[in-house]
Amino acid sequence: METRNDVLVVDDDADMLDVMKFVLDEAGYSVRSAENGKQALEATAAQVPALVLLDMLMPVMDGWQCARELRARYGNVPIVVVTAAENARAFGAEVGADDVLPKPFEINDLLQVVERYVARPAPSHPAA
Amino acid sequence: MFPTALDRGGLTAEGKVRSERRFAFTIAAVFTAAGAAWILVTDVLLYGLFEEPEVIARLETAKGCVFIVLTALILYAVAQRCAARLTRAQDTISAIVDSIADGVLLLGRDRKIKHANPAAVRRLGYDRLAGMDASEFSRRFRLTYLDGSLVPPDEFISQRVFDETGPLHYKAVVHPQNGKEFVISATAAAVRSKAGVPAEVVVSVFHDITEADQLERLRDQFFAGAAHSLKTPVAIIKANVQILSRFDAPQHRRAIAPIERQCERIDRLVQNLLVLARLRSQTLKLHPCETELRPLVAEVALEMGRASRQHEVRAELVASPRAFVDEERFALALCNVIDDALRTSTPGSPVTVLLTQHSQEAVIGVRRQPLPPEERTLEAHGEYDDLGISRCVARTVISALGGALREDQESPESTTWIRLSVTEGSRGNS
Repeated sequence: METRNDVLVVDDDADMLDVMKFVLDEAGYSVRSAENGKQALEATAAQVPALVLLDMLMPVMDGWQCARELRARYGNVPIVVVTAAENARAFGAEVGADDVLPKPFEINDLLQVVERYVARPAPSHPAA
Repeated sequence: MFPTALDRGGLTAEGKVRSERRFAFTIAAVFTAAGAAWILVTDVLLYGLFEEPEVIARLETAKGCVFIVLTALILYAVAQRCAARLTRAQDTISAIVDSIADGVLLLGRDRKIKHANPAAVRRLGYDRLAGMDASEFSRRFRLTYLDGSLVPPDEFISQRVFDETGPLHYKAVVHPQNGKEFVISATAAAVRSKAGVPAEVVVSVFHDITEADQLERLRDQFFAGAAHSLKTPVAIIKANVQILSRFDAPQHRRAIAPIERQCERIDRLVQNLLVLARLRSQTLKLHPCETELRPLVAEVALEMGRASRQHEVRAELVASPRAFVDEERFALALCNVIDDALRTSTPGSPVTVLLTQHSQEAVIGVRRQPLPPEERTLEAHGEYDDLGISRCVARTVISALGGALREDQESPESTTWIRLSVTEGSRGNS
């Protein structure tokens, strides 16, 4: 069963995961995280997210393999490649990503790109 | 005496012609004098010793025959001597070519290899190079550029230099059929007797630079790897700072703003280093697509204005041209030009970003009031400080996009102009 505001963030850097999770949590999204492609596939097996924010260079299973598996299993699940790689757009095109967000990014850009695929929920708590 | 090929090396073209004429004139003069002396002396002797016309006539005939034989002997000696000298000169040139440690290929007018020196034969691992044309060479040694794309036979520099002004140079990878690939640095030059005439010979010299190239690649990979590794921490710092800035405490803002500015600076430096590394390894790839320049220029100007403490960045965008650009790289180049202006302007003065369209060109200007010459301390820095790197990257990216970057000094202002060809249907100035 797909949850329409469920975002899965996949990144091997715990600090990066924290900050993305914090921003999206604050915006009212339901956020899950995974530290590599393998964990991401396990997480999607339990519940298919409305959007996957996917890093490319990760241990255990990298973004390329993870994207291929996600496409094979769930078809058109939106994938946004979030990477510090120099050729971010080429990587995105390679894996058939729906969008690319190069690091470092502005928080507003992150929110905009997520909002493009997942309707922004009403704020669960007032802005600080 | 007529000088040898090596002796003549230092002579000018006019000097060589003079030397040849002197040599020919000496032979002709000696022959004329000797012939005249022969005729004079033998005639005096003949008419002094004999009186019968019949005897004189026979002796005249014999005298003529002796003259012809002597002339033939002299001609033989001169021709043999010249031919020997030519052969020695050719042997000297061949020995020089063969002694060169780099591979040398000599191509004739038919554009085929006429001679390959031992170093070329050894490095290519094939001894039947003579008579080979470019297509066969391509089949046997599959030449590629450093980015892996095939060098078509008619784009070999040894072929192009027949029609273009040389010498031409490139780096390429040779993939022999039965051997390990290696990287070469090759130069080709055409030998012409005078300018404008077809090349008689093309000399192509190649040097194996595999080891140097590997070292260079390692260094560039290190650059690229280091730059990539720096991006993630910058991304985390930047995102956290942005989160902090949402809690609008004035005492925090004062500390947060410089962190944001420095993050931007590190990010730009990292991107510039990446482009520089790609440039040096000749692997810079752009992905141009048709782009409306006005919003892109406006966004860059706005961001740079936000990041500047001392200067206001104004935008005067009066056209909406479209051009084929790689958005990311073009934005980086424009950021670099604006950053350059911000860092070399009179404190407090504004920097103005202009966008206009002239005919088929989009013209982007970055206008500033430059510091007086005595205060331009940054100019003294080397080409590898961040300002030097950013200038190099801006120039290269704009040039790779088919544009031009030029600076105009119009005291008291100075403007850096970026010109790009617009795509069809671009809207002119509004």
